[in-house]
Amino acid sequence: MINWGKVWSDFFIVLALTSNVGFIFSHDPYQLVIAISVNLIATVLKFGAKKIFSAELLATALVADLHLIPATFLYFSDIHVGLAIGLSIGAAVANVISIVLLIVEIIFEYKKAEEEEY
Amino acid sequence: MKKKKIPHYGKVKPINFRAIYEEQLYEILSRLRFPLMTVLFFTMVGVLGLMIINNKSDGKHVLNYLFHTVITFSTVGYTEGYTENIELNRLFITIFIMISFPLAYMYGLATAVNVFAQSNLQEIFRYWRMYKKMETLKGHYIICNFNEITKEVIKNLKRRKIKFIVIEPNRELEPEIRKAGIEYYVIEEPHKRGVLLGVGIEKAKGLITAFEENTQDLSVIVTARLIRPDKDTFHIFATATTEGAAEKMKLLGANEVIVPSVAIGRRITSFVLHPPTPIIKGFLESIAYGERTDIDIIEIKVDEHSDLIGKKLKDIGMRQQTGTTIVAIVREDGKMKIAPSGETIIKKGDSLIVLGHPKALKRAEEFIEEHIIEEETEKSTEGEKVG
Repeated sequence: MINWGKVWSDFFIVLALTSNVGFIFSHDPYQLVIAISVNLIATVLKFGAKKIFSAELLATALVADLHLIPATFLYFSDIHVGLAIGLSIGAAVANVISIVLLIVEIIFEYKKAEEEEY
Repeated sequence: MKKKKIPHYGKVKPINFRAIYEEQLYEILSRLRFPLMTVLFFTMVGVLGLMIINNKSDGKHVLNYLFHTVITFSTVGYTEGYTENIELNRLFITIFIMISFPLAYMYGLATAVNVFAQSNLQEIFRYWRMYKKMETLKGHYIICNFNEITKEVIKNLKRRKIKFIVIEPNRELEPEIRKAGIEYYVIEEPHKRGVLLGVGIEKAKGLITAFEENTQDLSVIVTARLIRPDKDTFHIFATATTEGAAEKMKLLGANEVIVPSVAIGRRITSFVLHPPTPIIKGFLESIAYGERTDIDIIEIKVDEHSDLIGKKLKDIGMRQQTGTTIVAIVREDGKMKIAPSGETIIKKGDSLIVLGHPKALKRAEEFIEEHIIEEETEKSTEGEKVG
């Protein structure tokens, strides 16, 4: 059976990265609104998850948010668009780390399930 | 991988009382996930929709659209965030309200508020703070069961500022425990190893168990002794209903066991034999029972390497230096010399019974300790002599 709660959170974690990368290359305000919303949703979905890396996942999501919120301010106030792009690249790095953690966690869980079988 | 050493009391994990309440906090957070996600999602849809319809993506307009979206689904809405293209905007917003009002407002915001209203955040935080502070305790006492006997113990320990943790299995007594102003307590079964480890038995000074039933006391004593086998570093005091049970408890590891009926009978007899006079009314008893905080009586053993041995009491100057009085000397053979004169000589194996203010008694203990000749210096002097 597919765990739908997991589908939601994984979907938004991956979408956070893809939308962020989209903004980095397009410099488009629409893309930025999508990126920050998706990143915030991904953060909220990590609340209270009882997994091996839940603390680390939440931390990386918060890092991404803290990059993107100032980036949004800077971008829409037209002061430092270059800096905004830089910040969103930082957020993308945090997104990548959270995806790596997600993969490691999946491997751990797979191993655990295998051990339980025997 | 390194194999973990199994402790002598078996493979038991201490109950982490703080973690229980931390988990409850995470539980509340996890219940906020989907409501907050809905709110965020509809904010995004609203802002993006207005941006696309009006084809404006500069900062001023985007901020306006965000404002408009938020006041729309939160049902505040006192002004419109757009000035052109009013018909098209209103059409979009009408559809947006139809979808976002039930989802973002009724489900998202209302559920989020409900989660906070239902969860007892203040209580969780109070427990969490108590158990976080409890983890730092050292040299404390563990008191099992909250009843009339332990209430008296608690009152006296509080007066002496001795830290303690109460373990009470009955949750119904919790309001009473809180009313009694007890700083640290857990509602758990005290005979479980995990519970005793959780209240820091490994760092504790002693345990008091006073259940109405002997079996419960016994199980607590045995469990505590299993974890802390040394009778000198960890004291266990208990109550028993019969003398037979008291003996059994002592054999199983209790340092002292009191049979309440016997103790009360003895105290009544003491009144009969020594009718209380107005002046020294119960004076010695109040000292013995630790009811007075300004005076106390203790026994100090003179170390066999002490340089006090062989000296007269009047020559050691203990009264002048510490402010305490030696009221009796117990010799090695157990004979007691009461009210010794200044001419009395301290012998090997003596114990001094000292009376005074608790602070002065502490000084007296240090005084006796200071007079111990360290073995190493003795050896080195011997070595010099040989050389």
